[in-house]
Amino acid sequence: MLGALLPGKTVAAAQKTYTIGTDVTFAPFEFANQDNKYVGIDLDLIKAIAKEEGFKVEIKPLGFNAAVQALEARQIDGVIAGMSITPERKQKFLMSDPYYKSGVVMAVAKKSSIKSLKDLRGKRVAIKTGTDSADYANSIKQKYGFSTVTFDDSNNMYQDVTTGNSAACFEDQPVMQYGINNGMALKIVGKPAREGAYGFATSKNNQALMNKFNIGLKKLRANGQYDKIIERYLGNGSAKSQKAAAGNSQTTDRSFIGLLKANWSTLMGGLRETMVLTIVAIFFATLVGILVGLLGVIPNKLCQGTATTFIYIFRGLPLMVLALFIYTGVPSLIGSKVPAFIAGIVTLTLNEGAYTAAFVKGGIQAVDPGQMEAARSLGLPFGKAMRKVILPQGIKIMIPSFINQFIITLKDTSILSIIGLLELTQTGKIIIARNMEGFKIWTMVALIYLIIITLLTWLSNWVQKKVKA
Amino acid sequence: MSQYRVEMKNVHKSFGDNDVVKGVNLNVANNEVVVMIGASGAGKSTVLRMINGLETVTSGEILIDGEDIAHKGTDINKVREKIGMVFQHFNLFPNMSVMGNITLAPTELGIASKDEAVKQAKEMLEVVGLTDKADAMPAQLSGGQQQRVAIARALAMHPDIMLFDEPTSALDPEMVGDVLGVMRRLAKQGMTMVIVTHEMGFAKEVADRVVFFDNGTILEQGKPKDIFEHPKEERTKNFLNKVLNA
Repeated sequence: MLGALLPGKTVAAAQKTYTIGTDVTFAPFEFANQDNKYVGIDLDLIKAIAKEEGFKVEIKPLGFNAAVQALEARQIDGVIAGMSITPERKQKFLMSDPYYKSGVVMAVAKKSSIKSLKDLRGKRVAIKTGTDSADYANSIKQKYGFSTVTFDDSNNMYQDVTTGNSAACFEDQPVMQYGINNGMALKIVGKPAREGAYGFATSKNNQALMNKFNIGLKKLRANGQYDKIIERYLGNGSAKSQKAAAGNSQTTDRSFIGLLKANWSTLMGGLRETMVLTIVAIFFATLVGILVGLLGVIPNKLCQGTATTFIYIFRGLPLMVLALFIYTGVPSLIGSKVPAFIAGIVTLTLNEGAYTAAFVKGGIQAVDPGQMEAARSLGLPFGKAMRKVILPQGIKIMIPSFINQFIITLKDTSILSIIGLLELTQTGKIIIARNMEGFKIWTMVALIYLIIITLLTWLSNWVQKKVKA
Repeated sequence: MSQYRVEMKNVHKSFGDNDVVKGVNLNVANNEVVVMIGASGAGKSTVLRMINGLETVTSGEILIDGEDIAHKGTDINKVREKIGMVFQHFNLFPNMSVMGNITLAPTELGIASKDEAVKQAKEMLEVVGLTDKADAMPAQLSGGQQQRVAIARALAMHPDIMLFDEPTSALDPEMVGDVLGVMRRLAKQGMTMVIVTHEMGFAKEVADRVVFFDNGTILEQGKPKDIFEHPKEERTKNFLNKVLNA
């Protein structure tokens, strides 16, 4: 209690750091600004409370679903992501006092003739996975006779409506309002339903953090900081102030070049992460692939069985499933966190390693069996014969496959955006969440991938020529 | 010390349900040249490949200088060091020069230093008449030259026994003579040799003993003169008629 009253004192004691998961694309509650800094109501709020209560926070923008799963797996300490307080969530987690009142609204394309839920009969509606809005939509879809399609982030959901693929979407009211303020060609129809409130979530055993949050929230409400934070992002209620608030975090030049300039350093940051992931993953996948591939050609049933099983499992599993399993499944099994970067590298190593092992094994087996017989007949042991005679010939056969695998690895890093790694694809998603410029930003991201892959291909061809000579 | 270099005792070999060798007893004495003849599929090559353990026996026993090669305490690699083998398709290492092919095993197995190995390789190339090809790659050589390099490669290990598995079958006719010439010289120098071949003239001239294989067994064996001129078995006669009058 004393610590709460005198925050300066608690600073002196070692401050505890909590890892807080959040969504990536839930403006105005959380989104990355043009400097790629995460801002938004949720983040300002948790930071202000942390300051007030004398603890530190490390923000992890994981995406809503991944954040909730990470909390379940106790990879993180809390989630603040515009999370509606529901009975189900209260059963699973500790939920804080409400910090923002919201409701579910329906939005349709600007020119749409849909005026109410009744007009949705036979139509398709876009929802975002794991959200309260999605829950609401699913609960009434029988009654109003519409079908649903799910997306992982808000922007893709909005786009599906503006392009006309879906007739409407359901979204939390402040979020929808913010998106429209920022030029999303949608309009809100009807009244908010399921009026509820957002809360901060921790796992059941983290009462200490929950208490700090609730106490801090009360203080912010009392001293006016809370209102200031809301006003910063949503204005004081007038449409004009809302526009102004939106402009605070936006760049003005919306041309391709303008956007490229404004987001250049952010995109390059994403590219750097992609390259680091690619290089580290290629290194380990090649190592594992060669070892497992070699294991597969040793004349021993146990060795061959191990290699075959490894290849069968990790080549068979979709990369995304493997990533989620390692990042959110394994921690609950081993009882300790797996950092996203490590999870990403392990995922790529196992998957790309399995493909590499398959062609390493195949490459060795493609060498004329007479070569092994000749080497063995001279008295060379298996290992020496393999190293001196078979491998040098096998590697030549494998080189095109290696190059192919390197390019695939580079592309596959994009799948790791699912576990919140800030690589190029995730960076693109985040920029779009802020400025809603899907077409232009995805074009930039695609071009960057193509340029890098072209360079990698040139490099590979050059190496291949050197080796053949 | 056994009186025989190679002893095969009631050796059987099956590939799955297919019995390829059915109870072969064969001894090879020191300095002896044994030529195995018979139709394709009669089991000659399999018997030859069992002598240095490239094929394992299904049942029976093979002794090299009195040592059971299937015994757990036997180091098959050591046994192979004293048994040279020459293959139908040469099996030179395409990624190494002629010199590299010949010096690989002696240097890798610590039998000779690099310099010694190179010196000996040159002597072996002289034996097979290819001194000028030391730096050539296998792909630059004719079939006959490749096979002579393969012989030099086997000889570089100073083997006590040489196995030849149809060494001239993959060669153009004009190349056959060179390879047989090298083998003839080896025989004269007293090398113990086991040869599978369809070159009947060569067999008649060089062999101390000819062994006729039929359907996985040794049907008849003896001095070349006896086998070629007075075969006892009907099937031997038929086979010889076919190959000699082809």
